[in-house]
Amino acid sequence: MTTNAQTPTKLYYEDVQVGDEIPKLVKSPVSHLQLVRYAGASGDFNPLHTDPKIGEMLGIGGIIAHGMLIMGFVGQMLSDYVGPTAVREFGVRFKSMTHLDDVITCTGTITEKYEANGEARVAGKVQAADQTGDVKVTGTFVAALPRRA
Amino acid sequence: MFDKSKIGQSFPPFTIEVERGKIRELALAIGDDNPIYQSREAAQAAGYPDVPLFPTAPTMLVFWGNEKMVGQIASLGINLAGVLHGEEKYEYLAPIYPGDVLTGVMTLVDGKTRQGQGGSSIDILTVEIRYTNQHGQPVLNAREVIIARS
Repeated sequence: MTTNAQTPTKLYYEDVQVGDEIPKLVKSPVSHLQLVRYAGASGDFNPLHTDPKIGEMLGIGGIIAHGMLIMGFVGQMLSDYVGPTAVREFGVRFKSMTHLDDVITCTGTITEKYEANGEARVAGKVQAADQTGDVKVTGTFVAALPRRA
Repeated sequence: MFDKSKIGQSFPPFTIEVERGKIRELALAIGDDNPIYQSREAAQAAGYPDVPLFPTAPTMLVFWGNEKMVGQIASLGINLAGVLHGEEKYEYLAPIYPGDVLTGVMTLVDGKTRQGQGGSSIDILTVEIRYTNQHGQPVLNAREVIIARS
């Protein structure tokens, strides 16, 4: 059986402490073009995310972003922080809708350090919020980090 | 209201090959221009054997891998109009790289109905997709909570 490999990150287990903040990620404003691109990339073609007429019909103020796009923003922050292959668990709850031109900021904090499956792991909580502080997603993650030799 | 007898039901397996170009497309759509997602060469230069899976790539595996998914969810007896995505969670069990051929099995693992005002109700369903690779090794579990108004 292949096991999860150590990640080529520069971040070591010893360098991370409970309470550390993950470097925040501020995204460009969500645009209609981005939602069209994301629909094609992800394969989620629900017209709620691309057709303004549907959003108006449903009374939600035009099109809304895919929740998974916002989770993707948080994924980018984690990818930058620990590297994608370090991630062992990643989950979010969707709290509110994201509209065009919203500026999403992703943040996170380390909550735990522990050993499991022979790996040195860190756990943390993450969130994404817009320019007014409205929280779009909250979540948690677990990542395995290399130890300093 | 969804059909409670469907809890525990699995749908026929689907397969999808992990493609380098799709990982690149997803990363760029999200606005992540990290070179490790752009080419094998850049990924290798950063110490990866190939382009790594973007952390939320599992969503793409199911939408592109299982075109019947929407119909399968509907067959559980929920109202697809006004469906909301409540939660999404991934457990990564082993490495996944381009060229891997994954088989996913989707199961309705939990479900409940909450009564609302005026006779309305809300169905809250949890579906799980367990993926194995071409060697039969479990590599990924994806859980999704779907909220549907009846």
